[in-house]
Amino acid sequence: MASNAQGSPVKALLVDDTAVDALILSTKLRKFHCETTVAKTGKEALDLFHEGKKFDIVLCDKDMPIMNGLEAVEKIRAMGEIDVKIVGLSADYDATEVFMSAGADAFVPKPMKLDVLSAIIQEVINKKNNTMV
Amino acid sequence: MAATMKLSTLGYAASMLSTGLLDEQFQKLLLLQNKSDPNFVAETITLFCEDGEHTIGELTKRLDKQCVNFDEVAAFVHKLEGGSASVGAKRVKNTCIQFLEFCKEKSRDGCLKTLDTLRVVFYEVSGKFKDMLQLEQQQAEATK
Repeated sequence: MASNAQGSPVKALLVDDTAVDALILSTKLRKFHCETTVAKTGKEALDLFHEGKKFDIVLCDKDMPIMNGLEAVEKIRAMGEIDVKIVGLSADYDATEVFMSAGADAFVPKPMKLDVLSAIIQEVINKKNNTMV
Repeated sequence: MAATMKLSTLGYAASMLSTGLLDEQFQKLLLLQNKSDPNFVAETITLFCEDGEHTIGELTKRLDKQCVNFDEVAAFVHKLEGGSASVGAKRVKNTCIQFLEFCKEKSRDGCLKTLDTLRVVFYEVSGKFKDMLQLEQQQAEATK
């Protein structure tokens, strides 16, 4: 199980318009004591960054109305948010290339396994702890 | 298995697994339920049933037109595919995969036939989910 020796929770932004998927992933993130914000579209996610909100990780679905995940990832990176870890998610198993081209750090097919999420969160925690040293 | 779910409910879920209505993804969902998230399974499957009904309604409307926007239809099917994969509703997911093929081929007839199948498999699983939740509630009330 991922743990944070320094104590501050990982701030996660979950971007998904499918309510079931958002509920399941939020619950999984809670298992790792993440502080999770949910956005239903790429635009909502982008607005949060424009408001000055900071996140350690963004978990972003691909297909959403108004603004899809790929466009949101591109625009988040274009804002200068280069440190936040961005993980693309999709039920399309072959979305790796499009997400990586958009600027994501990784792609995980849905549904995301708990052990995969654990490893990703632990990576984020390690990076946070190294930054604080 | 989830400590907070009644054994009879787990038995009901097991029968849905053994008949191929659900797959191992549903078992993983059961494991997420605990004292911190005591209503997780009920909330998840309720959302799935509500979203699924809404999606089937939207698909019916869109395929009722002579001039079908297959991209819009595919978007709805893809969403249901994702949701059904997440809860382990195997037959719904597989039907959505077939549906997406007909969307790619822009075949209205193929889409209409698959929508009929989707209705059958979706209402089969959502009906059983609702029975399962009712059983859980009855058991909870009986032990108060």
